[in-house]
This record gives sequence, C-alpha cells and structure tokens, in this order.
Amino acid sequence: MATRVKDVQTNVEDLVTAREARAPSRQPLAVPIDQPVTFPLELPESEARLRTPAVGQRATRPDGRLHGLGQTQYIDDITFPHMLHAKILRSEYAHARIVSIDTSEAEKMPGVIATLTGAEVPENSFGPTYQDQPILAYPIARHRGDGVAAVAATTEQFALDALEKIRVEYEPLPAVFDPLEALEDDSPKVHGGDTNIYTSKVIKKGDVEAGLAASDHVFERRFSTQMVEHVPLEPHATIASWDGNGRVSIWSSLGRITLGREDLARTLQMPQSRIRLIGTVVGGNFGGKNEITNEPIVALLSRKSRRPVKAIYSRGDEFVSSTIRHPFIMDYTTGVDNEGRILARKIRLVLDGGAYCSWTGTTIGKGSILAPGPYNIDNVLVEAYAVYTNKTTTGAMRGFGAPQVCFAYESQMDDMADALGIDPLEIRLRNGFSENSLSPTGQSLQSVALKESLTQAADRFRWKEWQA
Amino acid sequence: MKKRGRGMACMWYPIGFTVAANPSAATVKVNTDGTATLLTGTVETGQGALTVLAQIAAETLGLATDDVHVVSGDTDVTPMDTGAIASRTTYVTGNAIVRAAEKARDILFEAAAPLLNVKPEQLEVRDRRIQVLGFPARSVAIDKVVHHSETVLGNPAIGSASYNPPTVDMDPETGQGKPFNTYVYATQIADVEVDDETGEVEILKIVAVHDCGTPINPMLVEGQIQGGISMGVGFALQEEILFEEGRQINPNLTNYIMPTSLDMPDIEVGLVDNYDPTGPFGAKGAGEPTAVPTAACIMNAIYDAVGVRITALPATAERVLTAINEKRAAEQADAA
Repeated sequence: MATRVKDVQTNVEDLVTAREARAPSRQPLAVPIDQPVTFPLELPESEARLRTPAVGQRATRPDGRLHGLGQTQYIDDITFPHMLHAKILRSEYAHARIVSIDTSEAEKMPGVIATLTGAEVPENSFGPTYQDQPILAYPIARHRGDGVAAVAATTEQFALDALEKIRVEYEPLPAVFDPLEALEDDSPKVHGGDTNIYTSKVIKKGDVEAGLAASDHVFERRFSTQMVEHVPLEPHATIASWDGNGRVSIWSSLGRITLGREDLARTLQMPQSRIRLIGTVVGGNFGGKNEITNEPIVALLSRKSRRPVKAIYSRGDEFVSSTIRHPFIMDYTTGVDNEGRILARKIRLVLDGGAYCSWTGTTIGKGSILAPGPYNIDNVLVEAYAVYTNKTTTGAMRGFGAPQVCFAYESQMDDMADALGIDPLEIRLRNGFSENSLSPTGQSLQSVALKESLTQAADRFRWKEWQA
Repeated sequence: MKKRGRGMACMWYPIGFTVAANPSAATVKVNTDGTATLLTGTVETGQGALTVLAQIAAETLGLATDDVHVVSGDTDVTPMDTGAIASRTTYVTGNAIVRAAEKARDILFEAAAPLLNVKPEQLEVRDRRIQVLGFPARSVAIDKVVHHSETVLGNPAIGSASYNPPTVDMDPETGQGKPFNTYVYATQIADVEVDDETGEVEILKIVAVHDCGTPINPMLVEGQIQGGISMGVGFALQEEILFEEGRQINPNLTNYIMPTSLDMPDIEVGLVDNYDPTGPFGAKGAGEPTAVPTAACIMNAIYDAVGVRITALPATAERVLTAINEKRAAEQADAA
C-alpha cells in the first residue's frame, strides 16, 4: 500500500510541475506539454460500497476517486484536432437597439475562422417558461450581459482580439434598474407593452383582513435580499462538433440534457435525432446550468467553420451573462394572539426578474407557496409579482426563492417571540406544521418532521441552557 | 466589544417542480455475473447523485452499491430525465429506478421460481441471492438466475420505467391545489459573535438538523448540508452583485466576496428519523433545502447578540455597524 500512496504523490508532483511548465510566465503557451498521467488501479474499495443492503450505507463515490486522482475530464480537459475557441461580445448598453453589426474587420484578424450574429440563429429565442431570451441579442439588447456577436478562432486570445474589431452601432434606449420603479406606469418597458410585470401569483386562504382585525398584535416589516451568483468552480463550458451526416455532438456542462436537446432542436431548427447532447461531469451547478446558454452559438460556429469549437466562459462572463438569484422585496404583515398563535399573514413579494424570464415562473411559485412559513395559519394572502429590469437575468438558484422568504418569515417569528416574551423555540413549536397540517394551498401534508427537527436541533445546541 | 448571540430558523421545502410534469425514466440491466448497469439521463453535478442512484438500484436487486455501474448524461444512450434541478433526483429519478429495477427483478423471479419450486410471488432478493420468502435456506445465487434466464430462457433481465410526481393544479384565483407530492423540513441554529465596534460577524457554530426521509447515503446528505450552509453563509454576510447603471461593478472573485473554508463555522449535522412511503425506500431529497434557513438563523443570532434587526441582506460589517449606531442614537434620543 505504501508504495501506491507514494505513486500517487509522485504523480501529483508531476502534474504540478507540468502545470507550472505551462504557466505563461515560464514558457510560451505554444509549447504543448503532454504529461502522461498514471494512476493506481488497485486502490482498495471502501467497505460501504461492498455491503448489502445498499441503502443507508456511507458509500464512497467512484467520481470522487477520479476527482482525487485528477482523472475527471471536465470540458476544459477535452480537446479535438483542429478545435477552435469561441468568445462572445457583450452589449455596451443595458438597453439599446442594435442598428448594425459589422464583423468584416474581425474576420480579417489572424486565426479567425468564423463569426456569428443573432440574425444568423435559425430560431433566436429560448427560455424554460417564456421564450423571451435571445441566443445573441438582435435587434434589442436588454442588459449588459446580452451577447451580440461571437467569434471562433484558433486560440482564445485570437478570438478575444477579434471581438475588439467587431463594430456594433447602438441606439441607446431608456433603461430601468430598480424593480419598484419598474412597477410604475411611466417606467421604461423592458419588453415593450404597458407593464414590466411578466408573471404574478396569488395564494389565498381564509380571510386575511378579518384575521388581522381579530389579532391581539400585528407586526409589519419590509425585508429585502440581494443578487448573488452561483459561482460554480467550473464555468459554463461547451464543445460542438458536426459530422458528415449533418449530425452534431455537443458536450456541455448543462444539468438537464433531455430538455437541453429540445431547446437545441428548436433554436437550431433541426430534428432531435440529429443532436447528441452529452452532459459531462459538472463542476458545480446550483441551478445556474439548467438551461442552454452558449450551446447554440458554439454549434452554429462549428457548422460555419466545419471544425470542433469550444467555448468556456471566463469568470466575468459567468457573472454578467449566466443567471443569478432573484432579489426579493418582501412586505410581511402578521397578526398573532397573546399566546403567539398566528391568526393571519399577509405578504407582498416583488421579484427583480432581470432582463428575461428564465426560471422566474418556478421561483415565484415556490417563493409564494413557501412564503407564509411552515406554520398553521388559517388566514393567508400572498401576492407576488415578478418584474423585468435591464439587469442580469435572474433564474434558478438553489432554493428557488425559499432562502429569501425564509429570511423574512423567520426574522418576523423572532420579532414576535421577542415582543411577546416567548422562547423562539416555543413560538415555532406552537405554530409549526405537524402530520396532516394544511399548507397555504390547502394541501394535507404527510411525513412532516418539522417539530422533530426543531427539538433535535435545540437538544444538540443545548438551546434551553442558553435561554435560561 | 464582542457580543455573543444565538438564533434559530426552521423551514419547509418541496421536492420536484411546482405542479408541472417533471418525469424521469430509467433502465436497469442485470449482467450474467450478477452485476448491473443503470442508465439515467440525469447528470452528476458534484453532489453524489449517481452514487445514491446506484444504491437505490442495488437495493432493489439485492446487490451492493459497487455491483452497479451508472451510465448517465448522453441523449444517444440514456432515457429522458428532467434533470438535476428542484431537489428531485433522489425522489423522482430514484422512484423511476426502483420501478425499472423491479421489472428486471420480476424477470429473474419468473426464471428462479421453477428452479426453487415455488411461485414468483414467494421470492425476494437479498445479499446477491434470490430466496424464498420465509424460508431463506432455499435460495439461488442471482448470477446463476440471470445466466439461466438470458441464455436458456432467452429472457434478459432488463427493466425500464418512469415516474412523475402526482400533483393537483393550483386555482388561478386562490392558488389552492397540491403543487408538490412531498416536502422536507429542517432547523438550523447559529451561534455567532458580533463585534459592536466594527459590525463584523463571526459564526462560531451551526447546528443543522434536516429531514430528508430515509437518508440513502448519510455521508452524502451531510456533504450537501455542509455545502448548503457555506452558500447560506455567503448569502447572509458577504455575497452581493453590485450595479452601477446596469453594469456589474464586481464581476470577479476579488471584489465579490465568498466564504472560504476559513469563514466556515463548526457544523454539527443531525438527520431526523423519517420515512416517506411515496419515496424510494422512504427517501425524499436534500439538495436545495440545506441552504434555505442559514441566513435566517444567522440574522436571528445577530439580533440576539446586539439587538438589531437586519432587514436587508447581506449583513456586511458596514450594514451591521450602521444598524448598531442607529440603535444607539435612538436610545440616546429616548434618554435625552
């Protein structure tokens, strides 16, 4: 065994040496370092993987072993002969009409094989709920992360250099950045029409006004949350390659390939049977890789250039052009009796939806349903609105609105506990769901373990000792 | 001066899509040596889902986790799957795998029944053998049965199935309906220290107790909880994309501050003993909910420490200090 461990260490050192040798400061990038990686084949299997019954075992992961040995192939590790690298030019304005795009100078740059603009995308729209988002913006750019043109070149640097030669003429349009301003009648409209509200949700149970009127105490507060990024270690990455039968293979960091292929068939206007979509090992998703992004761009550049094309987002691309978490503005009004029992809860949510819908439908749905918290409340009213703004598109992110509303409903629970002199644990146990409780949508809940989680957490934390 | 505070938050979270169909399909093939191959259209995104899915297939076939090889994420090869989203993989894809593996297992029961001189309904799988219910002494190794079924009877042990959580649509006026088939629950409690001169918050410890139904792999659930808490800590205290006229001004990891391992508190994880009869072997899910209550319990702990209610995230040192100063000014005004 000892020798095997040593082998692994040596290999790691070799890898580090190879990495350093590749660093631009040490050697020109053009020198290929093809360091063979050897690995042990006979590391012992973890006991838990060999035991039956399988369920409940602390089984280790085969992919974890490959990560540990540096053998996992992320898209950045995959390469093909004659492969090109694609880069995307982003909008200079948060809201503008694109008057013209001239790629001719870029095409004359060294190493440049193909360019692409939105007008060349067969069906230039996508989105899981509404297809309101362009693959490459044309003729309107609605936020600064919108791609307006793309280049495929023999190296990433050549592609980046060529982006600077693309001439885009814009006609700037009035923009709106604040979701509350976007609600106003005279605000600029991100997608035209007479409102920026693009989806809304109502949850209504009992009579909230009567419940508030009957309450001994009413608590009101506004809470708000910020935009955050998923920041996966691996940014969005894609390779596309066509064969002589007009069939395209796409390697992608996408987390949902079945629907990804549907979206590709729609945007590329070709049959699903001619598209092979391979979901590689993903270096972190957290909701940000649940819809196509650069896949159609890379596929079209590959078709134009007749070469495999790879695109890997920079960290900057990842921030400005992938989706991010919805900021919420949350107005909570809650009525309780003297014992801290919640009689009514009235909630208004405004979601900053960014420039396109993306997964807002799911976020507003889950956010609204979960907003009253895991509590038995007879009188509930939730009204939620998602509004377009000329900012980064908000979409799916771990929790779909739940971390936002949990911050609000749980902060207010402690406000109420404090005002009424009730232990925060006790006010939650007094109001919390149990088996067969009715949710805000009238659903009878099963396998409810809220109070068990509260009491076990309190016991582990020794909560009662701290409160004494 | 550093002030200590403690705060709790609980939450509920659904498994799967809101009303919308979100099916998964799966194919399970048992090889003639008793190992198996699982085909799934989901993708490993780092959470260990493929290992959990292998455990579910193995359990249904009476095999060990290592006996099952998982092929995933290739539209040319794998059946449809709604994907790694909405904390749905263990529950929805897992349920499809149970059903697919049961179909493969039924083929083996048909083949084994005459060998054991009983009816197929009298058989069960355990520890790589097919045995008679209530009389385990009469059994046959699963590889023998697969080989017999495939090469003698001409009936390979392959099963395919799908699952979609049953929901009831929501009334457009009132939202009343059954948008999800099941939910999970959790409580997190934070122990923090707040410096009332700088506003800086240090999280000393978080106790996290989660319900995920039956934990198929407790180690991977613990990993999800630790990862979720790190996202929750960033959401609570540090992370924020800042804009100037629609332009992001901190789109890089120098100015967009995320928690590192040095910012992570001690985490104590507990799992509630629970079983959901609608899930695979009682399991629900554990992906997203781990990140849900973290910010809320930290804000309640800050309130407990220094008496200020943070109403806008993130609770950066500047924001906490401003709130402390406003509270002091208000108290002085009251006293005057």
